Amino acid sequence: MANRKSLIVQANLLNKDFPQSVTKVKKDDRLIWESTIQPTPLSAVYTIKLECHYYSKMQKLIVKVTDPFPLPLANGEDKLPHVHSHEKQHLCLYYLGDFNYSKPFVKTIIPWASEWLLHYETWACTGTWNGGGIEH
Amino acid sequence: MLELNKEQREQFNEILELLGESLDISQSDYDKAVESYKAVGTQLAKDNSKLKEYNPQIAPQGSFLLGTVIKAINDCDDLDIDLVCELLGKNPNWTQEDLKAIVGEQLMENETYKKIMEFPDGRRCWTLKYRENSEDEKYHMDILPSVIDNDYRRDFDGLFSEKIFDRSTIQKLAFRITDRERDDYKTETNAVEWLKSNPFGYAKWFFDRAEQGQVEKRFSLKASIQEVPNFQKNKYPLQRIIQILKCHRDMMFSTEEDKVDKPISIIITTLAARAYTGSKNILEALENVISNMKNYIEICTNDEGKAVYWVENPVNSEENFADKWKEHPQRQKNFYNWLEQVQRDIIKITEQHGLTSIGNEIKTVFGDNVGNQTINTYSERLREKRENNNLRMTIGTGMLGNTGKIEVPQHKFYGK
Repeated sequence: MANRKSLIVQANLLNKDFPQSVTKVKKDDRLIWESTIQPTPLSAVYTIKLECHYYSKMQKLIVKVTDPFPLPLANGEDKLPHVHSHEKQHLCLYYLGDFNYSKPFVKTIIPWASEWLLHYETWACTGTWNGGGIEH
Repeated sequence: MLELNKEQREQFNEILELLGESLDISQSDYDKAVESYKAVGTQLAKDNSKLKEYNPQIAPQGSFLLGTVIKAINDCDDLDIDLVCELLGKNPNWTQEDLKAIVGEQLMENETYKKIMEFPDGRRCWTLKYRENSEDEKYHMDILPSVIDNDYRRDFDGLFSEKIFDRSTIQKLAFRITDRERDDYKTETNAVEWLKSNPFGYAKWFFDRAEQGQVEKRFSLKASIQEVPNFQKNKYPLQRIIQILKCHRDMMFSTEEDKVDKPISIIITTLAARAYTGSKNILEALENVISNMKNYIEICTNDEGKAVYWVENPVNSEENFADKWKEHPQRQKNFYNWLEQVQRDIIKITEQHGLTSIGNEIKTVFGDNVGNQTINTYSERLREKRENNNLRMTIGTGMLGNTGKIEVPQHKFYGK
C-alpha cells in the first residue's frame, strides 16, 4: 500500500472542505472525523462519523450515522438498507474497486455518504431503495 | 409559516413537478385514447353517413386539450376525454334533436360503439364508455356534436398565429351545439340560434395565461386541434398546478356520494388560470393561486336581492360556471371548504422537516400511490444524475445537486 494517502493528508483535505467538522488524527494510524451533512436543501441534518485505522498492511474504514440514532425505518421494515451493521448504523458505501486509499475521503466516501443519506430519506418514506448497488 | 430559502423553494419546485408528472396519463394511454377518438371520427365520416358531406372531424377539448388531464385517483374514477365532433354546416332542416340523433345513429351503426354507448344520451353529448382489456383501462369519451361555419375553418390558421388576442377574435373560434334543456331543442333549425360554445377559444385564453412569463414554448394548440395532437410531456407550471389541485379535489371527494357535489374542474381551471401571474416556480405559483383564486369569484346581487356567485367563462361573459351553486348550495360550500383545505395541506407539506416527513405528508394529502411515485422518482433521478456524472456535492454542507466543488464519483452501495 505504498500509495495510500497518509491520514494527516486525508484529515487536512477533510478539514479544508468541511471547516466546521471535528477531525482528530492519532499519531499517523487513526483518523476520526465527525461532521453534519445535509444531503439536500429540504433534507434533515445528519451527523456522520468516519473512523479509519491504518495498519501496516491493511486498513479499516467505518462510516456511521451517529445522529439521529436510531434512524427511523420505513413502514414494515426491520432494518436499514445497505449497511454493514444495522445496530451500529455502519454504512456500506462502495464495492470492490470503487475505492482505494490513494483517493481522498472527501471526494469519495463523503459524497457517497451524503448520497446514502438522501436515498435513506426517500426509502424511509416509500420503502424502496433507489440508490442502486449490490446486495450480498 | 416556515420561511423557505431559495434552494428549498427550488427543490419543492422539482418535487411538485414530479408530483404533477405522477398524475399524467402515460404516453401509451394517451396514444390509445387518440387512436380511439380518431376511430370515432372515421365512423362518423363513413361513406353511408348522413354526416359525411359536412366533413365531420373529431378534436379534443377540455382537460385533454388543456394538458390538465389526470389519471384516475380513486377506484371508481374514470378517465374523462372530452371531444368535439365538428360539422362544417348541416342540413337546413335539422333541429338540434335531429343532429344529436343522427350522430348517435351513425355511432350505433358500429357494433362496438353500440355496446359501449351510454343511454340515455347526455344533455349535450354522446358518451362512449371504454372498458377494454382490464379494469385499469377505464375511460369514457364525451362527444359533443357541433356545427361550425366556413368562416371558422378559414380563420383557424390566422387566429392561432395572432399574437394579440382580443375578445372579438376569440369569438371567431366559437361554434354551435345542441342542448336538450333548451325550449327550442326540437324546433330550431337555424344553427345560429343554437347555444354557443367556445372550447377552443377557452383553450387559447388558457394557454395565453399559462405562457405568461415562460421563456420556452412547450405546446402548440393549433397542432393539437388540427393535426395529430402530440403528447405534451413538458408542461407549464399552470398546467401542473391545476393537475395538483384536481388530484387534491379527487382525494377529498372520493366516494360516489361525495363526488356529486365536488368542485368541478372548469371552475378550478378558470380560477387558477386567472389567479396565476407567471411564476416559474410551481410552489410559489401554487401558493399564489390558492390564496388568490377566490378573488375571481364575483358576488353579484340578483333581482330578489340575493347573492349570486359568478365564475365567468373568460370567452363568454354571459356564462357562469358556478350557475349550479344556486340550486345546489352544497357545491358552493364544498368549493370554499376545499380551497381552505388545500391551502392548509400545502402549508403543512412545506412545514415538514426532512424529505421523509415531506414525502409522508404528500402521501397523506395526495394518496400513497402518487406520493410514493413522486418521492421514488425524485431519488431515481438523483441516482441517474450521478450515473451520468452530473451529480456534484457542495463542500461544507454535503449537499448534492447540479453545482458544488466535488463531482460524485461512480460507486455501488454494497451490503444487505
